[in-house]
Amino acid sequence: MPQFEFDGQLIETKPGKTIIEAAYDNGLSVPHFCWHPELPVAGNCRMCLVQVGMPAKDREGNFELDENGNKKINFIPKLQIACASPVQDGMVVKSVSDEAIEAQEAVMEFLLINHPLDCPICDEAGECKLQEYSFKHSKGQSRFDEEKNHKRKRQLWGPNVVFDAERCISCSRCIRFAKEVAKQDVLTFVQRGDHVTIELFDGTTFDSPYSMNVIDICPVGALTSPDFRFEARVWELSSNESISHFDGTGTNVYLGVRNNEILRITPRNNMYVNKYWIRDDARLSYDFVNKNRVTQPLINNNGTLEEANWEDAVSFAASKLDNFRGDQIVFVASSKATNEDNYIFNKFANEISKTQNVIYFTHTDETRIDDLLGVSDITPNTKGVEELNIGKESKIKPNDLAEKLKNGEIRAMYVMEEDFEDYPEILEQLKNLSFLAVHSYNMNKKINHYADIVFPASTFAEIEGTFTNLNGRVQHFTPALVTKENYRFMGMKMSRLDKFGADNDRWTNHEIRDSKQSWKIIQKIAKKLGEDWNYTKSSQVFDEISQNNPSFSDMDYKKLDEYQGLVLGKGNNPDAKQVNYISHYLKPQQTQKVVKFKG
Amino acid sequence: MSDLTFTLIEFGIKAAIIINIVLVMASVEVYLERKISAWIQNRVGPNRVGPMGLLQPIADVVKLFMKEDLVPKAAFQGFHRLAPLLTLAVAIGVYAVIPYAHYVNIGERTVYWGIAPNINIGVLFILAMTSIGVYGITLAGWASNSKYSLLGGLRSAAQMISYELSMGLSLLGVILIAGTLSLNEIILFQRDGWYGLRWMVFLQPVGFLIFLVSSFAETNRTPFDLPEAEPELVGGYNTEYSGMKFGMFFLAEYANMATASAFLSLLYFGGWSLPFPEFWDSIGLIEGTWSRALLQFGSFFVKLMIFIVFFIWVRWTVPRFRYDQLMNLGWKVLLPLSIINLFVTASVIIFFGL
Amino acid sequence: MNNRKNTEAERLTFWEKMYIPEIARGLGITLRQMFKPKDFVRQYPEQRWEPTGSFRGRPVLVEEDGGERCVACGLCARVCPALAIEVQAGETPREKERYPEKFEINMLRCIFCSYCEEVCPEEAIVMSKDYEIVYTSPQEAILGKDELLVPKAKLQDRLEFLRQYK
Repeated sequence: MPQFEFDGQLIETKPGKTIIEAAYDNGLSVPHFCWHPELPVAGNCRMCLVQVGMPAKDREGNFELDENGNKKINFIPKLQIACASPVQDGMVVKSVSDEAIEAQEAVMEFLLINHPLDCPICDEAGECKLQEYSFKHSKGQSRFDEEKNHKRKRQLWGPNVVFDAERCISCSRCIRFAKEVAKQDVLTFVQRGDHVTIELFDGTTFDSPYSMNVIDICPVGALTSPDFRFEARVWELSSNESISHFDGTGTNVYLGVRNNEILRITPRNNMYVNKYWIRDDARLSYDFVNKNRVTQPLINNNGTLEEANWEDAVSFAASKLDNFRGDQIVFVASSKATNEDNYIFNKFANEISKTQNVIYFTHTDETRIDDLLGVSDITPNTKGVEELNIGKESKIKPNDLAEKLKNGEIRAMYVMEEDFEDYPEILEQLKNLSFLAVHSYNMNKKINHYADIVFPASTFAEIEGTFTNLNGRVQHFTPALVTKENYRFMGMKMSRLDKFGADNDRWTNHEIRDSKQSWKIIQKIAKKLGEDWNYTKSSQVFDEISQNNPSFSDMDYKKLDEYQGLVLGKGNNPDAKQVNYISHYLKPQQTQKVVKFKG
Repeated sequence: MSDLTFTLIEFGIKAAIIINIVLVMASVEVYLERKISAWIQNRVGPNRVGPMGLLQPIADVVKLFMKEDLVPKAAFQGFHRLAPLLTLAVAIGVYAVIPYAHYVNIGERTVYWGIAPNINIGVLFILAMTSIGVYGITLAGWASNSKYSLLGGLRSAAQMISYELSMGLSLLGVILIAGTLSLNEIILFQRDGWYGLRWMVFLQPVGFLIFLVSSFAETNRTPFDLPEAEPELVGGYNTEYSGMKFGMFFLAEYANMATASAFLSLLYFGGWSLPFPEFWDSIGLIEGTWSRALLQFGSFFVKLMIFIVFFIWVRWTVPRFRYDQLMNLGWKVLLPLSIINLFVTASVIIFFGL
Repeated sequence: MNNRKNTEAERLTFWEKMYIPEIARGLGITLRQMFKPKDFVRQYPEQRWEPTGSFRGRPVLVEEDGGERCVACGLCARVCPALAIEVQAGETPREKERYPEKFEINMLRCIFCSYCEEVCPEEAIVMSKDYEIVYTSPQEAILGKDELLVPKAKLQDRLEFLRQYK
């Protein structure tokens, strides 16, 4: 194990690591633009220049000492880039010496010569690496008083990426990403000197399903998203840790929220799940949370859905559900709902309606499969539902539900967060039911029209819970949006504007929905039917799951947060914590977590 | 028509006139207050409504009537409504016993100026009524259910109790000398001697000072306006009042100021009495004629106005007391002083006669 | 009371401690003031005051070449201690790609601190000389872009002042 000295600190690292890698592994940092741990080293930004030297030895192989008795160091006359210099045993690295600082300031001055400094216009402002470094590593002054170079703005590289050539600092992260990660080698540098710019090869577009990741890794605002462009300043958003609801990979994300609306989704590092990336479809899949929501319980009155209050709705549902027992009723759980919701739903079916008929449906899209993050499953919790033994003992199987509905064997159905949009044959037969209760997110779902009662279910962005991804990793997430239910404790998580807005302010006119987490709705009905269920928090439900189900044993929310998720059955044997590299981040809400690397 | 009917008509007319005078006086005081405060602060004061701003008080009242009447949700509704009524009723009620002039003879009837100026407990009645006035303020403070109002109300109660003592004791000197509680008789005592200038202020200078200071405190005027101390208590007991309810407190405050002025001039400056009564008799303006009565009323009114202006003048000159200073002054200075004054007066009367 | 040496109260003379002569003196002072000429009073609606460039009146947006200077960077909204400003950006084909689609100042919240002006990188929001700010309803007090935009020529004094002292 080579040991080297970094700014006076002795660091041990694995052989073959570069200086910058070794530094990040140990919670230290070196200023850089082009280096990224998942991309090949390019070494073209020159920001990570450091002084590198070895202790001088005399002919006998003893260390030469200076007059103070310290080791004499022979530094390489020119500064080296930390991202491409491998560590050697005994090496001495100085990143904050006068020479290194001078070099870093010079690089910054060069970069800022042609950078337009249009931060007020630029979407990256507030989470920009160049902006951050101009505070940390720059003199804040330029000696350049000639005309700046003008290049083409607003170039559409693909459906989801806009390129502004003026702001580009030619770090080549996007080129390397397209080539190495997205496997779509369409980008290249053209021209030379200060005219250098990035262009697509003729006749190609950058439309990879991962294309939008270049927006995140771009250290400046050269690459922006048409979806979020000029939508909001990043500091107006609250940045909430969550798990992507879109597919079975369990991609870790941040939800950017303002005015109780998700305005963007950005990836969050989890080296065991999605690393630094997220698929574009998952990133753009937040509309169902913002728009067209069911905000009140709805009771079907002769074909029209009428708004009702919770008390009436729960009594109505309870009185109806009380009539159906055993094989008359089918419970449809959902792989879109959390483990907690499905557990309580199953418990309700087994203990109150005395039926084993709990089934769930899968939703797949085979075109999504690839070898990075693409999986066919487009629901977040299929593995979790399976692991909770839902549907194992059911007499009715998902495949013959349509048939059984048609010949009237099933008289009632209770559907939680499932819309059957992918199963039109079932949708058609729902009219044969004498009672149908539904937990629904959106108003525009066809199933609502067949339902006798529609409960407004909270989406993943409004609740606390866990999803189990296809690799069996249980991941915890907390609410980002405000509902009437969680309004009281959401205060500090809201963005500044929402936090301090009063009722008469126009900018806080957000809709506060009266939706509830599914298990809470079910518990209300259970209580109405005389059951003594007293769960107050999702964590209590999860603790009960972890006691009853061996796969979830030794898990709790605190532990899940600490280890960024635990794999099923390995609750007491978590994966090692990984170094969490964040290139540039939103300050001050989202802070850089540097975990010390062990082993 | 019987005598009783005449009496009822007479008192009805008198009451109507006096209530009107009180309300007009209040608006005149408001105007004076605004003008004098402006002059003291090198401003011009109201000059927009009417000539020289003379109609300003009317505009103020119209404004108060037009304002929304807000009542806090948590207030005790009944008492919240009662408090301003009580305060104003008491403030106006005091005027029942104040003599404005002596009397006029209309036919065979002797009509006294004032509703009941000859009542033999006049002084006592005034003291009693002004003490009830504190209930209005304390009730307002308590019923508003607001911390500022409550503090204002409590302060008011404490202040009134403290200063009523020295006020009453200083009054006793006057009563000892005059030997009566009837206001008219006290005035007659002051008229009958020293060419009509046997004013109590010359016989009771210390008593007068104590009474003056105490009446400032009793009327909640600066430097004793702690119950409504704006910088500390927002508005004190009337923080939660608006519209005409606030207007009633406002009117009551000025009515009280006029009462205090009237009381001071009655007890210490001869009230309606004219100096040199023989001179007026000799030129034919004898008691019982209208001209003599009007002159007497003029004499009383001038004294009243001088005190009102003095009240206003002091308000814009002297800063407010601190609460402990207020209590120190009341209990440690004024109370002992008034007791000593009482003893000296009594001793002089016993040993030297009057 | 030994620790109260040399206080204001102790320095008073006997007559000052007697209080009443001092009050009389004070009354004399105010009496004298009463009769001084009232030269400092301005008869407001007739005699208006024209503020200088340093005056901080109602904040307005600078209109230049038929459009707003503002690029909707949102810094004014961020720095505003009273949260009076709301900006929603939009995209325009102009050279500066960004413009305020919505720019609202809630004058009931505004405290005239001029932080927005100070932080503005484009000198697009400045304090005007407008000090007659009256509304009859809370909705009316929320000023939109149409009311906020003022041609640059009318704001010369303030812009001059900012160039000199900002």
